[in-house]
Amino acid sequence: MRRQEGKSNMASATTTESRSVPTYCYNCVSGPDLLTVTVEDGVATAVAPNHAGAGIHPAHGRPCVKAYGLVQKTYNPHRILTPMKRTNPRKGRDEDPGFVAISWDEALDAVAAKLNDIQVRGKLNDQGMPRVAATFGHGGTPASYMGTFPAFLASWGPIDFSFGSGQGVKCVHSEHLYGEYWHRAFTVCADTVHTNFVVSFGTNVEVSGGPCAVRRHADARIRGAKRVQIEPHLSPTGACSAEWVPIKPKTDPAFMFAMLHVMLHEASRQSLDLDFLRDRTASPYLIAPDGYYLRDPETAKPLVWDSVSGGPVPFDAVGAVPLLEGGVTVAAAVSHGPDGEVTRHEAVAATTAFTALIEGMRGYSPDWAADICDVPAATIRRVALEFLDNACVGQTMEIDGKVLPFRPVAITLGKTVNNGWGAYECCWARTVLATLVGALEVPGGTLGTTVRLNRPHDNRLASVKPGEDGFMTASMNATGKGKWADKPKGRNAHTTLIPIVGDSSWAQALGPTHLAWMFLKEAPGEWAEPEPPDIWFAYRTNPAISFWDTDQMAANMAKMPFIVAFAYTMDETNHMADILLPEATDLESTQLIRVGGTKFVEQHWDHQGFVLRQKVVEPEGEARDFTWITTELCRRTGLLEKYNTAINRGVALVPLKGEGFDFTLAPDQVHGVDEIWDAVCKAATAGVTGGETVRDLEWMKQNGFFVVPFTRNDWYLTPTMVEKGLRYELPYQERLMRVGEELRRRLHEQGIHWWDSQLEEYQGIPHWHDVPGRWVRAVEAAGAKAEDFPFWGITTKTMPYTTGNNAGIPLMHEVAQNLRGHGSVVINAKTAHTLGIAQGDWVEVSSVVGTTRGRAALVQGCRPDTVVIPGQFQHWKTPFAKELNFPSLNSVSQMSLELTDATGSGADVVRVALRRVDSPHRGDEA
Amino acid sequence: MTRYVMVADLRRCVGCQTCTAACKETNATPPGVQWRRVLDMEAGEYPDVRRVFVPTGCQHCDQPPCMEVCPSTATKKRADGIVTIDYDLCIGCAYCAISCPYEARYKVDAAEFAYGAAPIGSERARLAEQKIGVATKCTFCVGRIDAGIKAGKVPGIDPEATPACVNSCLSGALRFGDADDPRHPVSRLIAENKWFRMHEDEGTGPGFYYLWDGEAP
Repeated sequence: MRRQEGKSNMASATTTESRSVPTYCYNCVSGPDLLTVTVEDGVATAVAPNHAGAGIHPAHGRPCVKAYGLVQKTYNPHRILTPMKRTNPRKGRDEDPGFVAISWDEALDAVAAKLNDIQVRGKLNDQGMPRVAATFGHGGTPASYMGTFPAFLASWGPIDFSFGSGQGVKCVHSEHLYGEYWHRAFTVCADTVHTNFVVSFGTNVEVSGGPCAVRRHADARIRGAKRVQIEPHLSPTGACSAEWVPIKPKTDPAFMFAMLHVMLHEASRQSLDLDFLRDRTASPYLIAPDGYYLRDPETAKPLVWDSVSGGPVPFDAVGAVPLLEGGVTVAAAVSHGPDGEVTRHEAVAATTAFTALIEGMRGYSPDWAADICDVPAATIRRVALEFLDNACVGQTMEIDGKVLPFRPVAITLGKTVNNGWGAYECCWARTVLATLVGALEVPGGTLGTTVRLNRPHDNRLASVKPGEDGFMTASMNATGKGKWADKPKGRNAHTTLIPIVGDSSWAQALGPTHLAWMFLKEAPGEWAEPEPPDIWFAYRTNPAISFWDTDQMAANMAKMPFIVAFAYTMDETNHMADILLPEATDLESTQLIRVGGTKFVEQHWDHQGFVLRQKVVEPEGEARDFTWITTELCRRTGLLEKYNTAINRGVALVPLKGEGFDFTLAPDQVHGVDEIWDAVCKAATAGVTGGETVRDLEWMKQNGFFVVPFTRNDWYLTPTMVEKGLRYELPYQERLMRVGEELRRRLHEQGIHWWDSQLEEYQGIPHWHDVPGRWVRAVEAAGAKAEDFPFWGITTKTMPYTTGNNAGIPLMHEVAQNLRGHGSVVINAKTAHTLGIAQGDWVEVSSVVGTTRGRAALVQGCRPDTVVIPGQFQHWKTPFAKELNFPSLNSVSQMSLELTDATGSGADVVRVALRRVDSPHRGDEA
Repeated sequence: MTRYVMVADLRRCVGCQTCTAACKETNATPPGVQWRRVLDMEAGEYPDVRRVFVPTGCQHCDQPPCMEVCPSTATKKRADGIVTIDYDLCIGCAYCAISCPYEARYKVDAAEFAYGAAPIGSERARLAEQKIGVATKCTFCVGRIDAGIKAGKVPGIDPEATPACVNSCLSGALRFGDADDPRHPVSRLIAENKWFRMHEDEGTGPGFYYLWDGEAP
């Protein structure tokens, strides 16, 4: 028989069975996305879309390129396929761990023995810190692969989550904190489905937004939507935008302040959404000369000036028409300062918060910003006016039978813009720009898609609860005298230093997670040097590569006395471990998770429900399902009953008992993996259908996902705000001012002054400070000359690698090679020519903390003063990746207090030098 | 008549390489062989720069230069426009690879694997020795198309009869179908949009249409 190309191998004579198995990919926070795996004779051979998702999943069941790496990930010959223990007690990069294979019994007994010992000695150490710590990787996504492990964590009690793997740096940190504070928006996006004009400050959504965002933005472009991409380097998102504006790194607040200036000082006042500002924001609230709201002496409610009666009334006075702009004199009022201080005012001159905003932005004209941003004033002015022109103020649209404002303009912020110094100002300006035209949380505008600091996590509208002063509740860490956490209760001091992060389950991992590592090396003098945790669990995380100043990171990590790593291959973090536990990975294990509704990034759907990850193929070697590992751990530590109870309570996804159904597990028994997930599948489907439909694990294995309709109205928060009579806490930040002043007092009372710069961020109306200059000054503070490091070093992502832990997967490397700059140092061609650097030359990028080397990739789409190092590489242990000889910005980025902002965030920015060299790093392979 | 063509809407493509990866897995191509790939191109001078992503591969030409030079008649063109290679006839001379203006043909002389000398499980399961030492290229997933049509499916409409790269495309940039059928979406896309074909001046009659508002990149 003649062989023909294109004949599917699936139909070859040697294949006896071929099937397509549905599952999910949630390797980055822009998921989960649907997919299928072709399995031939029990071997996974290819990933493909799940076309059953067409019309349900916004990208029609198509996963991104990362998912296609799962086959090689499964059969990677470098996998750790048996439990292992360390035999060399010394830890460090240069120490051979001496790992030897052990049985599961021995491994689990060793971990259980440590845990049991802690249960005897107490779960907190003498410093009051948890003896158990845990670090999980990117954006909470490991939770979608760790089965019932959260139920173990819940059963255990105090756990320190403060050792980060990049949180605050590799995320969009300020947006997480302020976005959620202002509009329940842990992640923020444009309402791409409806918007017409997007100003994107470095939001690399075409790379990191996942399939849903990619599809939506493509559809938007075809229907004529315009996006202006403002970033130093021309990313794929810039490439797909109508216009690229190459801004100087870290000057984005100045650009946005100038946009505010244009809208407030150059455009007609009537072009703004004055009704929205008056009724849905704090714009009409009156401000006393001391900067705090003027309040009604009797009710303590903030005052507005009623245009009808011509006098001050509480903000919620029925029938009042508050004055939006101007100054008034109030006969008698009070203001509430820090620590409960009440100031009485008589015949006091006050302005509205809106007027404070106008005055605050008066000096920030486009001409002022032009020099700072290195962008022509005319460009800034035009972008601002286009934003205004496209806002459609006054228009409405009908969504699922409800008439809502239609404001098809949005501003989005990318990583680095959203991190570290300047990020607060960016988040604030972005959100205020939206409010000026009423484009916050309405069709076409700026949306949040999920909450993490507030509850419930799966319904952000339900998280809207009335709080003080007509705003939503804000769960801040206490700063009042006697209430403030003067001693850190975790190693990153999040309750002590970061009021806005709160203390919910996600809060600690969002705090200044690099401080936990830094303090292991050197704690501030006022605090005792924290003891490392007795046990550190690590899963899907590699901070030795993914954080900054990686040499320092590795050295600090080596101080951990007992590390348990759920390990896939050897890597730079596992290298420090004491016990390696090989978990059955993506295609080898079972878990049910939520899908649809509104989730991270642009994952807001017209459906919601659940998707199953199932055992597509048998696990390789002795890898075990994470749920089995967890159950065994709980059994060996006497936690079984608490663990099962936690699962019954819903810690594994949903409560197993609800109205009309009860699938609870017997608390005192060991339950198998399938038994647990069968109960979860039944409870989940019953819960979402009011008990009408019950689908078991077997049904989910066959069908992959179960969804019900989700109304598009629930994409938008503003209708809920209207319904509850609440206002967005914008533009003025009275509460933050008060909290900041209280925090200053508490810290100073303890003699702590090393956080004073951060305290400057607590402002009513933010003002410009020399944001990029902080990085220049950091060079000088390190004892070097600023002129010796004349370039900006930044990083960028590519889809094959973004947050996917894909460095050891050859397919990702192969396809990424089609993208310019992969594994290289991206340099403006003219700059390179000046330095005698040619395409492909080895170059060295150096900073005050280290050096990294890579091949030069010369491009036109990059500012002459900026070099870009894509991805996070420079591996020295991870198989395959360590052979690549790729550079990493992490190796040269400073980890320091001075480059940490008030939210505990830093940015992937560093001042660097650049030179041609003859080879990769000495000692490395060519 | 039927003329299967590919349409790549460059206004949609983000260069993610999902199609590249999907093609590689579906067709089990060895490392370095990319029947479908996306070029990352830049034009202009800072700061007036355009960057554009261009999916490419075999263009399934009306007048395939590869077929003209093939001494063994291994390369043929079907009535529906799909250019095929008969691996039993191919002698591996690679004239076709040289003649192809799209650099779409590959030839490997020994089995190669992702992680080095030995195949991993998935590679072992799909080892295709017939593709070693011969020319290979994009087939438009012809086996899938034929099987799909046999099952009553429509190429470019039903995933079961559509090339893997098109099925995988996140942005909807890649579309496939019968350009001779005026009702097919690809016909409408070609009729209603500005487009170009790569190296059309060489008279190859490529079956790959690029939708693009500007000049050909």
